Amino acid sequence: MIYELQIALAIGAALFGVGLYGALSQTNLVMIIMGVELILAAALVNLVAFWRYLHPEVIPAQMFVLIIMAVMAVEMAVGFGIAIARFRSRGSVEMEEARELKG
Amino acid sequence: MTIQVFFLAFFGGAAVWFGVVVFRTHSMVRSALALLFSQTAIGGMFLVMQAEFLGVLQIMMMATEMSVMAIFMVMFMMDPGGMGAMDMTHQKRLSLWAGAVGFAVALAAVVLGQWGPVALEVPSAEAQIEMLGIELMERSMFIFQSAGLTILTAMVAATMVALAPLKHGGKDDL
Repeated sequence: MIYELQIALAIGAALFGVGLYGALSQTNLVMIIMGVELILAAALVNLVAFWRYLHPEVIPAQMFVLIIMAVMAVEMAVGFGIAIARFRSRGSVEMEEARELKG
Repeated sequence: MTIQVFFLAFFGGAAVWFGVVVFRTHSMVRSALALLFSQTAIGGMFLVMQAEFLGVLQIMMMATEMSVMAIFMVMFMMDPGGMGAMDMTHQKRLSLWAGAVGFAVALAAVVLGQWGPVALEVPSAEAQIEMLGIELMERSMFIFQSAGLTILTAMVAATMVALAPLKHGGKDDL
């Protein structure tokens, strides 16, 4: 049974690594959003695994999953809002061309 | 190996594989579909872990979310079909290292962590939904309402940001 927990957590770790690679390596804003989605998906997997294998009687753990899902939706809405604004003003969502945003 | 372990590894492997495909294919539509399959496989993992409500919610939510993402991909990408095989990456080596180190550290924590006794029994699906509903309407109501308000605010903010700017001096100038 302990292996199931470790398998689920290892999958979460792999999703986190892939998402981190994607978020850092992509130049397109939509692809960066995809990387962040994978990182948040890793958090979801870990939360559900901890709930299932360690504390299945603690239902507020599922509440955290709903909050992460809300964060995913918010991240997409704001990301696409910025993408549309950027596309209108510059005609591209390539982040290589967004150097003027650098502080 | 129990059937639960098999399906957990199967859906998990599919989720990671499609996650990798997202960044390996040149076609942006395929990227969006790969992410959809990855998220659906994660929903399958939730079902295997007996979190039925969360599994179905994950699959339904991600199906719509990724469909919207595919539309945005086609709208915004210079080469959405990937026919030109454009390279849209930068700092590849640094990103690979960061991803590999992140994975290795997290995996080390998984392997070396003392996780304690593992629960064998899980409340039934009906009991879970009932308890979650009561939790949402009682102790976690403020958090849940805050999440709803945050989504509403983000939707309004995203719409305002995305609107075309008004032309000054014109009849639209308020």
